Amino acid sequence: MSRLLFVLRRAGRALLTIWFAVTVTFVLLRVLPGDPAQAVASTTMTASMRAALLTQYGLDKPVIVQYGLYLWQMVHGNLGISFTQSIPVMQVLAARLPWTLLLTLTALVLTVAVGIPLGVVAATSQGRFLDRLVQVVGVTGQSIFVPSIGVLLLFVFGLMLHWLPIGGAYSDGSYGGAWYLSVGQHLVLPALSLMLVQLGSYVLTMRSTLIDALGEDYTVLARANGLPYRRVLWKHALRNALLPTTTLIGLQLGFLVGGAVLTETVFAYPGIGRGIYEAVTQLDYPVLQGAFLLLAVTVVVANMVTDIIYGYLDPRVKTA
Amino acid sequence: MTELIAAPAVQGAEHVASEQPRPAVATWRSFRREPLGVIAMVVLAALVFVALAAPLLAHEPASYGQAVLRAPSAAHIFGTDSLGRDVYSEVVWGTRQSMLVAVSASFIAIAFGTLIAVVGAYFRRLDAVVSIIVDLTLSLPVLPLMILVAALVGPSTGTIIVVVAAFSWPEVTRIVRAQALTVVNLPYVDAARLMTTSPVWIIVRHVLPAVTPVIVVSVVVTASRAVLSAAGLAFLGLGDPNVWSWGRILFEAQQSGAMSSAWWLTLFPSLAILVLVLSATLLAISYNDARNPRLRRR
Repeated sequence: MSRLLFVLRRAGRALLTIWFAVTVTFVLLRVLPGDPAQAVASTTMTASMRAALLTQYGLDKPVIVQYGLYLWQMVHGNLGISFTQSIPVMQVLAARLPWTLLLTLTALVLTVAVGIPLGVVAATSQGRFLDRLVQVVGVTGQSIFVPSIGVLLLFVFGLMLHWLPIGGAYSDGSYGGAWYLSVGQHLVLPALSLMLVQLGSYVLTMRSTLIDALGEDYTVLARANGLPYRRVLWKHALRNALLPTTTLIGLQLGFLVGGAVLTETVFAYPGIGRGIYEAVTQLDYPVLQGAFLLLAVTVVVANMVTDIIYGYLDPRVKTA
Repeated sequence: MTELIAAPAVQGAEHVASEQPRPAVATWRSFRREPLGVIAMVVLAALVFVALAAPLLAHEPASYGQAVLRAPSAAHIFGTDSLGRDVYSEVVWGTRQSMLVAVSASFIAIAFGTLIAVVGAYFRRLDAVVSIIVDLTLSLPVLPLMILVAALVGPSTGTIIVVVAAFSWPEVTRIVRAQALTVVNLPYVDAARLMTTSPVWIIVRHVLPAVTPVIVVSVVVTASRAVLSAAGLAFLGLGDPNVWSWGRILFEAQQSGAMSSAWWLTLFPSLAILVLVLSATLLAISYNDARNPRLRRR
């Protein structure tokens, strides 16, 4: 019973988060200056044409009715029609979302795969040179401006060494295996930039929690029982130290999305972050609303995945 | 700076026995021994000086020059941009803007975030609402929303400050609230409740001083995040078009297509951002370590 309640509460919270993001976007778009009617229908049109266009996009109704209709349509999977491209918002976003997911997920996996071992290295050589070095690199990494590292990588590996392409997401005119290879090549530099700016938080969190865990009574007991140090470190201490690092993934998601917007700009990557920027400058409200909805859904899904991993690492939370 | 470090002494300073140094003094003594922290403080002070004395250090980078896209030389130590303007002047004047945005945005975010956190922690009924709002706001994609607001309202320094502050306070609230919740349950706050019925007095006299160290760290962290957010907005072309900022130098370099060939256009503003954010972060870390008696050496 308590299990069902737990799942229900989580689901309710997820829906609340999505509703909140959608509503904040809707309200901001309507309250701030910038008239959606202006974006659809130019003032030079005849009054009847203008009225017809406004009716077509539902902009003639009161704002509260627009909001209600928007939510109603959204629940039914209809996100409206793009003001500027005149195609369904779903279509606009579906072309962009895969690239952003590919970029951010690759960066996230790389960050975790590199950050956790580095944190372990630092924690086990606490106070020595290696630890100091990892700490300095971690703190410096946290302070780097995303476009700075992006341009640096682009300059060195793209322009000087000619190892990797300098922009876009794939090579035009390539098919099959060559296409996938080009996608991989175009992904390296953006994913690396995004990884480098995030790495610091993971390394430093991993380091400090693992140092705490190694000082706990249960690790001392395990050592006193004669278990080899490696086993105590990897099986006992690390498992507990992974908990705050897992929480960090959820906390850093917003930052990851922000970093993706800037990275996509530097590398002309056709993702959703760049799409948001373009939609803002064109006042394409339906696309913006849709994009923020998708980002909110992504954050909610990622948080659920984190919760599941958390429950796997720490069985206590499943029953609690 | 000394004010910031002296702050944690307020709480319970009167009760400390005479042979023990006051907490602020102990913190300062410990802080002085950490070279990284001292260096970070000196660097920050130097950047504040550059920001204040910008008109004395460089001409306002308004005039277009003949020497276009020149590499660093004796005449232009940071080189020139695609319109022949001196990059050194742009960076110096950009320091002003970065400092202004960082200080104002973090001040607003800290004031609002702390108020919400402390009031929420003291009046437990409000706390449930506060924590839900903070959680929900923290799950929003911050930079895309900043882009949205900045683009709709129109780029100006005021807009940027308000936008950055508006999306930074929940993080402050989250951190301060955690500390305030433990404080309001301590016996001395209960004792204070017996002495007065004014919650304002208890919050100002007893709760705020106890959360001050967390606020100090939070100020530094929020300010450095504000620098990065403002630079991000300017890099996307949403900065104040009339004022030089580090992000704007990068934005114009990218717009002119010179970003990849003229390395100095990217390097110097990037270094400026790195130095400011890094020294702020190191200062926060050193202060935190110095404040913690368990980590103090000797």
